[in-house]
Amino acid sequence: MPTITFTQSTGEAAEITVEEGTSLMRAAVTNGIEGIVGECGGQAMCATCHIYVRPEFAGQLPEVSDDEDEMLDCTTAERTHASRLGCQIKMSGPLANIVVDVPSDQV
Amino acid sequence: MSTPNAPTAICPFSGAAVPAAEAAEAPQVAPAATNGAGVAAPVADWVTIPDLYTNPFPIYQRMRSESPVHWVPAVNRYMVTSYAACHEIEQDEARFSADEKNSLMKRSMGHSMLRKDNPEHQVDRDSYGATLRPGTIKKHWNEIFAANHEKYLGELLAKGPGADFVWDYAAPYTAENLRLICGFHNSTQEDLQRWSQTLIDGTGNYADDPEIWAKAAVSSAEVDAAIDEMLPVLAKKPDHSLLSGLASMPIPLEAIRANLKMTIGGGLNEPRDVLATTVWALLKNPEQLEAVRNDPKLHAVAFEESVRWVAPIGMYPRETTQDGVLEGVHLAAGSRLGVVLGAANRDPKVFEDPEAFNIFRPKKPHLGFGGGVHFCAGTWIARAQVAQIAMPALFDRIPDLRLDPSAASVDAGWVFRGMTKMPVTWG
Ligand code: HEM
Ligand code: FES
Repeated sequence: MPTITFTQSTGEAAEITVEEGTSLMRAAVTNGIEGIVGECGGQAMCATCHIYVRPEFAGQLPEVSDDEDEMLDCTTAERTHASRLGCQIKMSGPLANIVVDVPSDQV
Repeated sequence: MSTPNAPTAICPFSGAAVPAAEAAEAPQVAPAATNGAGVAAPVADWVTIPDLYTNPFPIYQRMRSESPVHWVPAVNRYMVTSYAACHEIEQDEARFSADEKNSLMKRSMGHSMLRKDNPEHQVDRDSYGATLRPGTIKKHWNEIFAANHEKYLGELLAKGPGADFVWDYAAPYTAENLRLICGFHNSTQEDLQRWSQTLIDGTGNYADDPEIWAKAAVSSAEVDAAIDEMLPVLAKKPDHSLLSGLASMPIPLEAIRANLKMTIGGGLNEPRDVLATTVWALLKNPEQLEAVRNDPKLHAVAFEESVRWVAPIGMYPRETTQDGVLEGVHLAAGSRLGVVLGAANRDPKVFEDPEAFNIFRPKKPHLGFGGGVHFCAGTWIARAQVAQIAMPALFDRIPDLRLDPSAASVDAGWVFRGMTKMPVTWG
């Protein structure tokens, strides 16, 4: 099964194993990953599932939709080129073993 | 004006609060202690609706310290008061359904998205399109909110010192915003206020008062007629409103009507109440007000702290779909729950010194906008009209705004909580 590694700003990393099709937000919330809130349950409405995706995985990601794009403008931590909403990325083959950084602020 | 919080006929969004007599007639018995599958919820027979209405917070303190879940005879429901338990409910709609049986909300407003579970809920939610989303707010609504604000702040100023912050300003301002968001170009903000209040009263009509049903039915028919009139107009001449989007969508008229009535009931009181509560709290904490004046970014922080401190929707309902355990407490299938956001947001396990309004506290997620699939669809609309538009302009235009020392403000309610009276002065 694919894994996701969440790296905190302290450098601490947690690798979790998930089913295909699970979103990064859901995986983080279910496994109690610090710093991912996911208030809106994946409606792309709260921007509290903000993550930075490591550049080596950027090419495999789904495109940013309009809804995700405007919500990324509402994140608490700075939006960068690596910014995505964890709820809008579902695990699939090419993303196996993805590594993401968790922002220092989410609310 | 009647308030949404009147002790006898309560909530809309919660469907809470049965008058004591009726609770006794239709008892839903708390389960006896169970074997291993969690302990029985303690019975909080000392909780009364009038006490909750006056000031629920000391009651929540005691409840939270005893158990995360209580059976509360006066409310005829389990009340869930810990942050962890409320959060667990929000994130698990399979175990905790929003589609409550015998819902007065459905009777008063029809079966809206707020009382549906997925996948049905998502169809309705998606039908609201981009109207309430940040992009449309930035490109379209902010300018309209600013113009509305200018108008109603002007009316407050014209009324002069002693005017009521809630009824002479916050209520008409938020009602006018909601009117345009919905697309009721054939109605007035006064219509919106009347519809909102009477439909909410119907939703809380546990006493089955025929007069309350009659008023709710009149409003319901007026909303239906207003929708019927607007849909073809907006189909020809679209704008950014909810009804305009819905006019070109294959969605049953029945769902449109119910969702709009729910939005009228839920999109007016909350921004009105949070605007008044935030300003009240700042006026009572001058050092925090001073900080907000010196750093405009803090308006948003003050807004969020206010939603935490006094959750405008203090409680909403859910129903268990299966036997199970919530934070160690056994709940049988079909149990009626009240998710008490007003209590969760003051849980000392999460928030330090939780009873204090403090914009400088460490930032943590509160539950005031709900969570999970029913997470408030109007969150960004509320933030924009209150924290971005109203608060900065208000303190700019009336720098010496004060609570009127000659007439006390009143904060009240628990299912909906806010200022019911707030005389202000200046000059
Ligand atoms: C500070 C202001 C507000 C607060 C605190 C608030 C709070 C909430 C809460 C707690 C819920 C979830 C209730 C439940 O799960 O049973 C909710 C849902 C909802 N709210 Fe708000 N609300 C606010 C403003 C607004 C505004 C201004 C609008 C509309 C313009 C709005 C529209 C809605 C809608 C449509 C839903 C239903 C969402 C769904 O079922 O998917 N709200 N709100
Ligand atoms: S969970 Fe709310 S935007 Fe992703």
